[in-house]
Amino acid sequence: MAIRTIVVSVAGAPGSLITAKYAIYLAKILQVKLFAIYVLNEKVLNELLKSRIFVEVEAREYERDLEQQGRVFLERIKKMSESKGVECEGILLRGVVSDEVVNKTRELGADILVMGELKELKSRAEVFYEEGERIFHKSPCSVVVVKDPVAVENLYKEI
Amino acid sequence: MRISDYLKKEFCIMDLKASTKEEAIRELAYVLKPSGKIKDSEDFIKHILEREALGSTGIGNRVAIPHSPSESVEGLVVAFGRSIRGIDFQSIDGEEVNFIFLMGTHPSDLNIYLKLLATLSKLLNDRLFREEFVRVDTPGGVIDLFKKHEEGIEAVKGGRTGA
Repeated sequence: MAIRTIVVSVAGAPGSLITAKYAIYLAKILQVKLFAIYVLNEKVLNELLKSRIFVEVEAREYERDLEQQGRVFLERIKKMSESKGVECEGILLRGVVSDEVVNKTRELGADILVMGELKELKSRAEVFYEEGERIFHKSPCSVVVVKDPVAVENLYKEI
Repeated sequence: MRISDYLKKEFCIMDLKASTKEEAIRELAYVLKPSGKIKDSEDFIKHILEREALGSTGIGNRVAIPHSPSESVEGLVVAFGRSIRGIDFQSIDGEEVNFIFLMGTHPSDLNIYLKLLATLSKLLNDRLFREEFVRVDTPGGVIDLFKKHEEGIEAVKGGRTGA
């Protein structure tokens, strides 16, 4: 069975660029298409509205900003991919981050899911409730957890 | 990322001098100055007050969480202030506020900021956390309490405990 599709889950943080670079590297050497997924975290916005920390107009403003940041970030990854001769499609989704990433990965029939380094867990509960952990455990395909930014940068420069 | 990663002892004031909402916001904004993360305190304060004008961040239970993104903030900042006499924050429950968390972020760090706000909200809605929190008397105690409870915060999701 050949590897045909790679998915990378990105959050828009600077660390996500390293994750994306490793995914681009893998897509390049395996000569496959890359899908970059960014999920607008609607769950957290709704929680903040419900707890009245946010007012409606404020939540909508954050939503617009997050969507814009997501689009800009995905466009950046697409350009990085293209500069390395890798075909890349950006996908912006909304909802619960782990659910959306896992569902889209399944829908695309991806062979590899690339994600950023998991945070250090300080309790057993976090294994079950941290979004990154949930993606890792619920992914329908093999997962690559990116570590060592320096090594990734070097690999990225090689291609 | 946890509140305890950002809230440091030097950013906690256990006896705010402020007697009004704006004074409290100013006092907390300036306690963050030594962090080096606030490029322009007055601009940051302006953003916080503009957000307050949309609706009070006094969320009840004597707690307020004034917050705003601002280009004047580098990264993410959190300060805590306790007002022993209480401050009128126009809270949703009409009660005065004794506990104020000031949060700010650069607009590029929205994702982490929103998660931290949600974490703070969850903790402060947790009755068990609040019961311990009101008894804490030192900046170190505040930090330790957050560390202790944030380890289990994810289990709180969905109202599994407290509140």
